[in-house]
Amino acid sequence: MNVQNLTKKYDGKAVVDTVSFEIPKGKVTSLIGPNGAGKSTVMGMISRLIAKDAGLINFEDKDISKWKSKELAKRLAILTQHNNIQMKLTVKELVAFGRFPYSGSRLNQEDYDIIDQAIAYMELEEFRDRFIDELSGGQRQRAYIAMAIAQDTEYLLLDEPTNNLDIYHATNMMKTVRRLCDELGKTVVLVLHEINYAAFYSDYICAFLDGKIAKFGTVDEVITKETLSEVYKVDFEIMEIAGKPLTIYY
Amino acid sequence: MKNAAYKKNLRKLMILAILMLAAAALYMLWNVNFTNPKFLKYSLSLRFPKMCTMLIAAFAIGAASIVFQSIINNTIVTPCLLGMNSLYTLLHTVVYFFLGSASFLATNANAAFVVDLVLMIVVATIIYGYFFKKTNYNILYVLLIGTVLTSFFGSIQSTLVRVMDPNEYESLLVTLVASFDQVNAEIIILCVILLGVLAFVLRKDLALLDVITLGKEQAINLGVDYDRCIRRLLIGVTACIAIATAMVGPISFLGLIIANLGRQIMKTYRHSHLIIGSSLFGMIALVGGQLLVEHVFNYSVPVSTFITLSGGIYFLFLLLRQKKG
Amino acid sequence: MTFIRKYTLTIILTVLLVVLSVWSIFIGVIDLDLKSILQGDSEQVWLLLVSRLPRLLAILCTGMGMSVAGLIMQQLCMNKFVSPTTGATISAAKLGILIAFAFMPSSTIWSRALFSFAFALLGTWLFVWFIQRIKFKDTIMVPLIGIMFGNVIGGITSFISYHFEMTQALSSWETGHFSMVLRGRYEIVYLVVPLLILAFLFSNHFNIVGMGKDFSSNLGVNYKAVLFMGLTIAAAITASVVVVVGSISYIGLIIPNIVAMFKGDKIRGTLIDTALFGALFVLVCDMLARVIIAPYELPIALIIGIVGSVLYIMMLMRRLKHGRKAVRLASHGGGGCQ
Repeated sequence: MNVQNLTKKYDGKAVVDTVSFEIPKGKVTSLIGPNGAGKSTVMGMISRLIAKDAGLINFEDKDISKWKSKELAKRLAILTQHNNIQMKLTVKELVAFGRFPYSGSRLNQEDYDIIDQAIAYMELEEFRDRFIDELSGGQRQRAYIAMAIAQDTEYLLLDEPTNNLDIYHATNMMKTVRRLCDELGKTVVLVLHEINYAAFYSDYICAFLDGKIAKFGTVDEVITKETLSEVYKVDFEIMEIAGKPLTIYY
Repeated sequence: MKNAAYKKNLRKLMILAILMLAAAALYMLWNVNFTNPKFLKYSLSLRFPKMCTMLIAAFAIGAASIVFQSIINNTIVTPCLLGMNSLYTLLHTVVYFFLGSASFLATNANAAFVVDLVLMIVVATIIYGYFFKKTNYNILYVLLIGTVLTSFFGSIQSTLVRVMDPNEYESLLVTLVASFDQVNAEIIILCVILLGVLAFVLRKDLALLDVITLGKEQAINLGVDYDRCIRRLLIGVTACIAIATAMVGPISFLGLIIANLGRQIMKTYRHSHLIIGSSLFGMIALVGGQLLVEHVFNYSVPVSTFITLSGGIYFLFLLLRQKKG
Repeated sequence: MTFIRKYTLTIILTVLLVVLSVWSIFIGVIDLDLKSILQGDSEQVWLLLVSRLPRLLAILCTGMGMSVAGLIMQQLCMNKFVSPTTGATISAAKLGILIAFAFMPSSTIWSRALFSFAFALLGTWLFVWFIQRIKFKDTIMVPLIGIMFGNVIGGITSFISYHFEMTQALSSWETGHFSMVLRGRYEIVYLVVPLLILAFLFSNHFNIVGMGKDFSSNLGVNYKAVLFMGLTIAAAITASVVVVVGSISYIGLIIPNIVAMFKGDKIRGTLIDTALFGALFVLVCDMLARVIIAPYELPIALIIGIVGSVLYIMMLMRRLKHGRKAVRLASHGGGGCQ
């Protein structure tokens, strides 16, 4: 997937301003940056949830707006921050919705197998018949990821998946992201606030500032004192732990 | 792999259907004179259209309410927000004001029905279609604009009423109260056909309702053309309510009661079950209510009274019951 | 100089209001002229005191009262779409009047006002209590629920009126109009004046309570007491207006929003401007109503209904265009009624 001169304006002010980049296949790419830098808006546009004002988004050599929504849903899944469901829905029923792009409301045996695998992959077997609104935040987040897995897409876009999770659940979420990439070969794109999660678990990082890309590259290229100080306007120190950069800011 | 809850729901639907049939049979056969076939035929021919009217109205309102609540994602709203009632009231007032109670449109039930229906659907489709585009498919804004227009229609209507001849007003008033009594066979058949066509045209969108309740983002993620689907469904709901209103007159709170009871009993996200369940509830409520009105209260109170009162009380109950969010 | 700049809007509104008020006195079927009044022409003075002046005063009280009632409700509920119309206050007030009529046929205007006030307060209180318990993910949901609530009360009202064969009596309150405002039958609307003063004195409190329960406890303000008082004032204003002129929608909804566009949301600074602008709005609409089909007059509710609908839809569109909410990827905020 590559993006050229992507632009989004609100009230005449460009929130995303002629942004171009390419998302490396089969890797984890994190979008970071301060509040209002435009990372979530970019995420919304490349997942067709937000209409773009200008620019091109090529997905598998075809403009994303030319894709049939249903076909796209078999190749690209997005999970947004706020999911609130008014219905009484069990975990299994939620995950089953992941098969909707393939089989509609009539699921076949293959679908049920994939659903069971997705539930097993996220270790949700014991909750499968529990209602979503009775789960804790971490469990609910896992259920949504399981649904995205059942959707069986090559691309997985996650908007702040660690938001509102405690350290234990957030770290497990990041480990899951890594596994999805390494074991299932998915291309994962995330919006993250915690720089250290981005530094530790991603392959590539894209740093946004004022609607433009401040730096895009491998973790080592982006996680530097200079880039981060420029983007976040605070002082940074970079240390190394387990061969990965670790940032301290103050 | 249909699970236990699914089967349980099917069983509940069966029970509701049986209750509905029992109510219908009771209504048809209560106190009829079996010995004299002439009387039998006469009373059946009186009761049958009335019962059909109630069943159709219950189905239209029940289905429309469930669909409407799901696309708004809130269970204490009903399609009465769409303003069909005030449009109906305005249309009738205009006819009586400018053409008079003796005019063709006021006296011919079939013509009145067709004109009501066509005008309501055309006006609503134009207004809602236009504002859907204008608001970038923001349904809540569309609805709020709808309520603005509703009160606008209301102020025109009440201005007309104030300067109206009191005799004309008396005869107008009769048509503004919901009634199941004077619906003839042609209208009933037409309604059934229209509802069937509507269901057929929207069958694909209706199948998407389960996914739509997951929220806009999730629905798009799963490949639903959300804006188009919502627009089509909303116009479908409007048409459905327009059919019911043109047929029996303004009914406000039936949808609120039966949709919520349906949701409470069925406890499922499957809209096929919810729609059927709510419709059956509506049928039982209307036929049962009519039985009470005819045989216990001897026609002293119209059935719409029961609906309004119990709807009002039920709405308060819903407000008070809401858990702290 | 700074004084003038700070109060430019207020001064303009005041001057306009005075000029138009004087002008409006001279509009009507019978021509009034200043000279004969000053000379003490008894017929002209009588017309002025019995009809024109009461009408003008009722208009000013209605405009000021309804717009301030709307402002208070919007502040207390932290929602720009709440008002006596969208918060069930008006429909509850109407129900109160009807019940007074139906069950106490010999009731005076004062006892009707009392009933109307009690119902308005109950309805408003119930609605606000409900919307505060539930965090709606969308602010637009709040007025929609309010309108539903209003519809329910309206349904009960029309049922009772149908049952007691009082629909035509009811229609007098259905459409607000000033044509029946004559000396001796409108004075209750003056209640608005002390209520407005009270509202002004407590305007800072309303502002603080509008920031939320924790915020106000932090500043030592009794949240519940102020909330209750604010709603009581709004309901009392609404009831005294509805009893005299009938229901007029939109004023409480639109006027505070328009003033806030110019002056921001601090209630103390906007209360007077809101009141003045509300009075001006109703006065202009009333003059239109009297002039358009003179010598007859249209009910003011119709004029306000038309002007108000257009303004309100424009306001909605503007908010939709400029609201920053859409910037966030997920248009739904967290929480919700799960």
